[in-house]
Amino acid sequence: MNKATKSYGVFIRLATYLMLTLLAIVFVFPFYWLFTASFKTQAQIFVTPPHWIPSHLMWSNYTDLFQQTNIVRAFFNSVITSAGSVLLSLFLCSLGGFAFAKYPLAPGNNRMFAFVLGTMLIPGAVTLIPTFEILVHIHWINTYWALIVPGAVGAFGIFWMRQYMSANLPDDLLAAARIDGCSEFGIYWRIAVPIAQPALAALGIMNLIGSWNNLMWAFIVLRTPSMYTLPLVIYLMQGEMSTPWGMLMAGGVFTVLPLVIAFLLFQKQFVAGITAGAVKQ
Amino acid sequence: MNSPSISGRPHGGDSRSNWQALWKYRHFYLFVSPFFILFAIFGLYPLLFSLFLSFTKWDGITAIHWAGLYNFRLMIHDELLWRSLWNTLVIGVLYIPPMLILAFLFAQILNSQWLKLKSLYRAAFFLPAVTPMVVIAVVFSLIFSSERGVLNYLLLSINHLLPFLHLQPIHWLDSENWSKVSVAILVVWRWTGYNMVLMLAGLQAIPIDYYEAAQLDGATAWQSMRHVTWPLLQPVFRFCLLLSLLGTLYMFDEVFVLTNGGPGTSSTNFGLYLFNLSFTDFKFGYASCVAYSVAIVVFGVSLGINRLNRRNSEVA
Repeated sequence: MNKATKSYGVFIRLATYLMLTLLAIVFVFPFYWLFTASFKTQAQIFVTPPHWIPSHLMWSNYTDLFQQTNIVRAFFNSVITSAGSVLLSLFLCSLGGFAFAKYPLAPGNNRMFAFVLGTMLIPGAVTLIPTFEILVHIHWINTYWALIVPGAVGAFGIFWMRQYMSANLPDDLLAAARIDGCSEFGIYWRIAVPIAQPALAALGIMNLIGSWNNLMWAFIVLRTPSMYTLPLVIYLMQGEMSTPWGMLMAGGVFTVLPLVIAFLLFQKQFVAGITAGAVKQ
Repeated sequence: MNSPSISGRPHGGDSRSNWQALWKYRHFYLFVSPFFILFAIFGLYPLLFSLFLSFTKWDGITAIHWAGLYNFRLMIHDELLWRSLWNTLVIGVLYIPPMLILAFLFAQILNSQWLKLKSLYRAAFFLPAVTPMVVIAVVFSLIFSSERGVLNYLLLSINHLLPFLHLQPIHWLDSENWSKVSVAILVVWRWTGYNMVLMLAGLQAIPIDYYEAAQLDGATAWQSMRHVTWPLLQPVFRFCLLLSLLGTLYMFDEVFVLTNGGPGTSSTNFGLYLFNLSFTDFKFGYASCVAYSVAIVVFGVSLGINRLNRRNSEVA
């Protein structure tokens, strides 16, 4: 490579870094704006020219948030429903996936699995109203169950766990455990689950994002403020006439932060979880 | 099927061995039963009930009235339905091309060997995909605000520097012409990183030998992208496109929070229209009819596209 092409390459790289950094700033900006606005007064939020960097950190939005809204309760509700749906879904999907992967000779295995895959084609929009009606009839409206149970076993989760267990769970190991007198459920619980941990992490994260962020279903099935989850509280804080913007931003930080921290800690698993969705095709 | 015993005729011996096989694998049936039970309650029954509702008039409280094909006739003249489908199409056309191009670009760059701080860049682009849409839409409504928003402030600043561009503040959220654009911008911001990650996975699945072979043959960087990357990334691209199309149709949070479909109905997409029909107007019968009809059309179209794709790839 001669000198001219080399410096040309360096130039290209520098330009790429510059463009990438600029775009990264654009992508992160809304987070920055959310975060800084949570420390501003209503007037400071809407001032022109905008205060790019807040002059001092004002905590009153946060104290207002804790005093005037049910945010702690909403946080608790969000944690309960998210943890509930993630754990239930991980348990049932891995159990089903294990069965489909490790009992290939069970009569009907293939046909039942094909059926499971087929259910992925059903759009949620079609089943929305009857599902709501069922919840009304069994008195689950305004309960945690309404957010946890209906979506507990997805076809995709079963597919995902089955693929992983078929590839990573040696039959010899299961046979050995059986000879040692381990029960079938024991094999699942003590051998399959520990080995499938990466797959469980990815699936769990996928479910966590879905349930932590869920607004529409929460809006439909939750009725009293003591049951509201974070997204619903944030949504309802926007008033027709006046919106307490500073407090709203503080609530937004409160809602976003757990997932952002989790994402920064477990970036690899998050990306694996999201990429998992693509295996569907 | 794996087991020969299942296909037997109802001879005494055969059916006993059937039962024996079922009993032998009872754990299998036990372990998969939660899926089938929950599917029966929250999948199959709703599917059938909603089909039945399509032929009825019902508000969810009073008695169900049989309406025959009335709902289907109603659809033809339902301007709001067609309007929402049109809006869906426009929003899709506005955001899908820039989003996929940007995602491809990011993926391509993040896949290069020399780049440092990869995980930092990836985190920046991907973070929007994991954050609650409500919060983001609220922040965007602040950024988009006509008089005091940051975006219009930037436009005016640019106009100050380069007056010949004649940039005007834009009524992002309160003009019928711009509301769809605002939704599209929000969606690009939210979903580019997601598509980037999918494409990155696709790029990493391409064996490095292919590029080496292309380089040996004297291919330029552009040529190896055009003739190696592009064709091999087709399935991922098609998948992203399909996801985006379906996503636009059933998108809800983005529109609900940012514009609530307005001003007027200028940014009401199909998802929001259906939600309003169901849970604002409580027209359960008609909403079921619309949901079913659109789902069937979508299913048919994607089946057609799939078949076309398969035929194309067989020819190629």
